[in-house]
Amino acid sequence: VRWLRFAIGLLIALTLHSLLDKFFPNALAFFNPYLILVIYYSMGGNLVGAIFAGVAAGLVQDAFSGAIFGMHAFALTVCGYLVAYVNSRLVLRGTLAFGVSLIGSVILNEIVLYLLVNILLKQKIEMFGEGMLAKTVLTSLFGMLVYQLLLLFLREEPIEATKRPSGW
Amino acid sequence: MQVAVERRPTLFFLVVLAALFLVMTASIRTTRIGETRTLFERGVMWAFSPVPRLVNWAGTNTADMYHGYLDMRRAVAQNFRLHNEVENLTRENLALRQSEGDLARMRSLLNYSEQFDMPTILARVIMLDTSGSFKSIILDQGSASGIEINDAVVNAQGLIGRVVLTTRKLSKVQIALDNNAAIGSLLERSRRQGVTRGDGTGMLRMDFVPSLTDVTPGDSVLTAGTDGLFPKGIPVGTVVKVDEGKDLFKSIRVAPAVDFSSLEDVIVLHTRKVPADVVRYQP
Repeated sequence: VRWLRFAIGLLIALTLHSLLDKFFPNALAFFNPYLILVIYYSMGGNLVGAIFAGVAAGLVQDAFSGAIFGMHAFALTVCGYLVAYVNSRLVLRGTLAFGVSLIGSVILNEIVLYLLVNILLKQKIEMFGEGMLAKTVLTSLFGMLVYQLLLLFLREEPIEATKRPSGW
Repeated sequence: MQVAVERRPTLFFLVVLAALFLVMTASIRTTRIGETRTLFERGVMWAFSPVPRLVNWAGTNTADMYHGYLDMRRAVAQNFRLHNEVENLTRENLALRQSEGDLARMRSLLNYSEQFDMPTILARVIMLDTSGSFKSIILDQGSASGIEINDAVVNAQGLIGRVVLTTRKLSKVQIALDNNAAIGSLLERSRRQGVTRGDGTGMLRMDFVPSLTDVTPGDSVLTAGTDGLFPKGIPVGTVVKVDEGKDLFKSIRVAPAVDFSSLEDVIVLHTRKVPADVVRYQP
């Protein structure tokens, strides 16, 4: 059930990605639905699950974006793993904690992408500009909204739903 | 395998990162040698391609429907606006045509009235009664405008009749077709005088023209100016038939110069009347 939910979440993220690309080109520069998905699954504290979530979501994002294939997968895996690692010790719960994790993850994701581009292509990309601020704010707000909706829909702490034993 | 991974997640994490790094490196290389996508990347794209295609299909159709709806609303609003515009323009066009007709008529009346050296009053026909043997019209101007009984009424075509009754705002005109109307007239070509009156059938007859007079159909009949009512030279009609009458006079049928079925604007000529004491002068 956990991975089925993840698959549905991934399809929703890809749908959002496609919709944004169709109606608001370049919107993904200010909003990252894949990151919300990965962080949501990583907050359960399952390190291995977080790695798989990051790789799967990242590869799909890479496949439908112009970046080097594997780059977003790499960055999302790093974010997912770190968030899962922190949660395996601190057990952060609630919408605010999710929002804070998202803020940190957006920044970390951008730093990882910056480093990868720098290392692999020897190029320097724009960072810490208005785009990144907008991306941090919009992604966090949207993530918190989704979290609240899940809270209403699942009638339990959404992160607990990601902690159930998996069969991967 | 599963247990090993769960026991050493950090190691697994590093292995995955290394694998991803290799994938990225391969991706850069294939880009450099001409391939734009690795097989793995193509596989991921192929697996998830229904989603963007479905989104694109739904988005395009939704956008088309939305734009179709907007276009329809715009078309309905535009249609409504154009209907109103057509209505207004039709009304305006009719008014302009009316004005154009009025202007042409007024111009011809004005030109015509300028030849008279007497006061003229422009009036509009508001009622027309030519059904019985007593044929008359009602004008929208009366004594307040200076119209008096026996004033001549004409238009650009010719003589219409004379005023027989006035109120302050209206006047009644006995038209030339009336059986009781009598107009002192003359034949333009031969200058022979006579009296023209209505014959009750919409035509005129000219009496008292001697049998020896040269009259042929087509001759114009004008007012003679001898009756003390109508100024000289106003067209009365055209001779259409000439017969030898009984006695000493010809029987002449005259078609009126004026089309009495389409009277609109007329000129009232404020003629100088012959004083009554002159008419009844007893030497």
